[in-house]
Amino acid sequence: MPKDTTDTPETLLDIRNLSVDFRTPRGRVKALRDISFPVRKGRIVGIVGESGSGKSTVLWALLGLLAKNAEVTGGEVRFGDRDLLHASEAHLRATRGEEISVVFQDPMTSQIPVLTYGRQMRDILYRRPELSANEKRRMAVEMLGKVGIPDADKRIDQYPHHFSGGMRQRAGIAMALLTGPQLLLADEPTTALDVTMEAQIIHLLQDLQKELDATVVVVSHNLGLIAELCDDVVVMYAGEVVEAGEVREIFHNAQHPYTRALLECDPARIDDVSRKLPVIPGDIPDLTRALSGCIYAPRCQRRMPLCNGQTPPEVARGEASFARCHLLEGPHHDPDWPPPLDVMTVGLDGAAKSKPTHTKRGESLLEISDLNVRFETIGPLRARLKGIAERHVDAVFDVSLTVGPGETVGLVGESGSGKTTLGRAVLNLVASQAGAIRFEGQDIRNMPENRFKPLRRDMAMMFQDPVGSLSPRKSVRALITEPFHIHGHTGVNLDTEAERLAEMVRLPKAFLSRYPHELSGGQARRVGVARALALNPKLIIADEPTAGLDVSVQGEILNLMADLQAEHGLGYLIITHNLPVVRHIADRLAIMYLGRIVEEGRTAEVFRHPVHPYTRALVEGVPQPDPDRRRMHVSISGEVPSLLNRPKGCDFAGRCPLAQDRCRAEKPPHVTLADGRRHACHFPLT
Amino acid sequence: MLFYLTKRLGLSAVVIGLVVLVLFSLLHLIPGDPATIALGPRATPEAIARYAAKMHLDAPVWQQFLIYVGNAMTGDLGIDVFSDRPVTAIIMERIGFTLALVCAGMGWAMLLGIPLGCLAAVKPNSWLDRVTGVLSVGTIAVPSFLVSIWALLIFAVHLRWLPAIGAGEPGDTASQLRHLILPAFAIGLSWVGYLARMVRASMLEVMGENYIRSARAFGLRPRRVIFGYALRVAILPTITLIGMGFGGLISSTVFAEIIFARPGIGKLIFDAVMARNFPIVQGAVLVATGLYILVVLFSDILIAWFDPRVRESL
Repeated sequence: MPKDTTDTPETLLDIRNLSVDFRTPRGRVKALRDISFPVRKGRIVGIVGESGSGKSTVLWALLGLLAKNAEVTGGEVRFGDRDLLHASEAHLRATRGEEISVVFQDPMTSQIPVLTYGRQMRDILYRRPELSANEKRRMAVEMLGKVGIPDADKRIDQYPHHFSGGMRQRAGIAMALLTGPQLLLADEPTTALDVTMEAQIIHLLQDLQKELDATVVVVSHNLGLIAELCDDVVVMYAGEVVEAGEVREIFHNAQHPYTRALLECDPARIDDVSRKLPVIPGDIPDLTRALSGCIYAPRCQRRMPLCNGQTPPEVARGEASFARCHLLEGPHHDPDWPPPLDVMTVGLDGAAKSKPTHTKRGESLLEISDLNVRFETIGPLRARLKGIAERHVDAVFDVSLTVGPGETVGLVGESGSGKTTLGRAVLNLVASQAGAIRFEGQDIRNMPENRFKPLRRDMAMMFQDPVGSLSPRKSVRALITEPFHIHGHTGVNLDTEAERLAEMVRLPKAFLSRYPHELSGGQARRVGVARALALNPKLIIADEPTAGLDVSVQGEILNLMADLQAEHGLGYLIITHNLPVVRHIADRLAIMYLGRIVEEGRTAEVFRHPVHPYTRALVEGVPQPDPDRRRMHVSISGEVPSLLNRPKGCDFAGRCPLAQDRCRAEKPPHVTLADGRRHACHFPLT
Repeated sequence: MLFYLTKRLGLSAVVIGLVVLVLFSLLHLIPGDPATIALGPRATPEAIARYAAKMHLDAPVWQQFLIYVGNAMTGDLGIDVFSDRPVTAIIMERIGFTLALVCAGMGWAMLLGIPLGCLAAVKPNSWLDRVTGVLSVGTIAVPSFLVSIWALLIFAVHLRWLPAIGAGEPGDTASQLRHLILPAFAIGLSWVGYLARMVRASMLEVMGENYIRSARAFGLRPRRVIFGYALRVAILPTITLIGMGFGGLISSTVFAEIIFARPGIGKLIFDAVMARNFPIVQGAVLVATGLYILVVLFSDILIAWFDPRVRESL
């Protein structure tokens, strides 16, 4: 709920002119320059920015936990009557965890795996010697219950790996709130979580903030999360605050061209899927160089000659609300800026403004029917000793799916839905137990590798982690020509091929001699695309093609993939959990839950009218980058059950708000509707 | 857990069985008749025949093997060629000295090496880190028999602070402890270096983990973060190393026990090999192997105790 803004709450935390440098082998990186913004008591402040904006650095700077090569070169952070930047280490330690606490980005790695939650939480309360161990435990159990962990008094004795991702993040929030801090910092609190978990965590944070009247600072790149959760927003770019204001001002009337561009690039805001996605051309500037003028000028859609040399003025529009741009004040003041929200200000990548239409497909390229992939969870002897009858889990269960030439099929599901396993089974990387996988009519399921290898040229994989899937010791040239070596293509001129591929993915030639660590996320992704394209495949399986990419560049990759498809008639199977993105690129969608496809149909129809309650929950679960479209309730509770105890009836019955007795008793068969839509639900939504 | 233990003990039995087989074949692969080898070239034919009958050397080889294994299972490792005493009894007399030496050697190396590695990792590139680095390489590079000789010369011969040879008066713990100092120092020294390096490397890795940053962000004291959190995870690979190190130390004791003239398994094996006293060699090597397997098993269980994820996968 947006708060009453007429009274001016007192400032709890005041960041003034904070500057931080990092000493690196390439020189001093001026990571933060003159950051100033207040955090008002009882409000949720969002710091939004892309990678390299320095948003997390702000967080660590005010905790005094910057990396060892960091140096605070100026400014102050007032917290109460203290300056946190110049406080002694002992003083800071007394503040951390007690008055200022943190919810971390990745609950999978930020909780120590070898200690129970009870022990971890008791340790946090070490400054309360007046409390007995039992009292500490009671406090911890109470807090775990408050964040929605069932059976808290039992689960407190468990270790982090016993908890699912969503539960771990709940426990992380409980740990942060245990001491009753005045200020709660949250660093990308939902980035590592699935869509339905994300919605739950957002609401949990909102409820707790209201209940405890806490002040929260949330750092995120996710505009939807910021719009849904925050009262005030600070927009950062390349180590500077370019704009700050209340959430409605930022999302409905952004003043800075960068804020405006960022909003326009968010696929969740764009309803017109026939057009290409907008992008912000260029890269974040090199912060080791001397900087002058407006930091955003090189990429700005409204760049003027003066922007390069003259620092833009800070134009206030209210208390704690300002933007830094020459367009707003001074000789170049433009009374027509900013234009209404429906006018696009950022250019589109490439000349064609509308997406190329797909070639009409003939027969299917890839045809999966009734595929089953099962994994053994326990050895036969051990299972007998422990009396376990079922030693297998079905990671992929009765899956049928086709991809035509020139078609893009989106395979959507949360973690554990089996979507990646399905992709691996198609590429013959895991053995499958039943069903058929046909590629151009030929059954390729469990084909021996020596016969399958020639087919690998026709199917390529784009891996999820763009940098991690590239060998760090090979140059880009070697990386993108590697498929030729693997398949023994000796007759080709590798240099020409490397240049051809680099041009195809719009990677400047100079990059061919670089190494993976010198590439940005978007560039590494292009190398991945080039590698996949090297041998002119017919089918590309892309695992989360935009994961880890900033909003401003993910459009580039998606547009590139669309262009390449139009040019070469590629079929795409896109495995993702990101609904806004898949909505823009996929012709058809298949929604997977617990290894089974629960709904499949044309993308636009699936979004307009989901048939399966799970699909609806996913579609509604995406936080909208519009503070006026905040959801008042979480559409789906609970979490994905373990494959080890697959429900007897519908897999989704345990979480489905519409479940009836039949759903719990009987697995719904796949039904094809008149319009070609398939679903597996006893009581489809109408 | 029970399943795991059964499996591990079964595997250990297989390993020990293989060791016995190799030892046994060795005796028979050496050219010549085992009885002649055992008794030496000047033994009379009668003596050889007597010995062969007593040792079942007249039976087929596979029968001899089964007899040996069967006896070993009941704790009977055969009879010493020279003294006619049971091998088991001879080994039991000595094993305590070796175990005391190995434990003392590894013990002081752990007490010094692990904290050194920790401190070096907490402040990388500090003077302490650099000194530790140089010392580690130095102590690893020097062979333990050289250390033994120099320690003997300096502390026992020149300075006369500590006794030079023997294991001390039986029953006099203080004297036994004094006799333990120099050999334990000699065999443990290189382990200070190994452990410091190993702990430093894994500590450096763990200190960069997100959960360490979490612990610091919750304001925990540095000492708690380092020893209660980071070391708890970083020690795991070191435990495996220490487990294997015990096995290595059992063989290093050969030098130390010879140089310091200490009774023990190492010296026993050495003497027995020199005298071609095969029942003793076989028995002692078997016991040493058994010890090694037990220590490795123990270290794996210790890891499981420290790490719940390992514990549950057992």
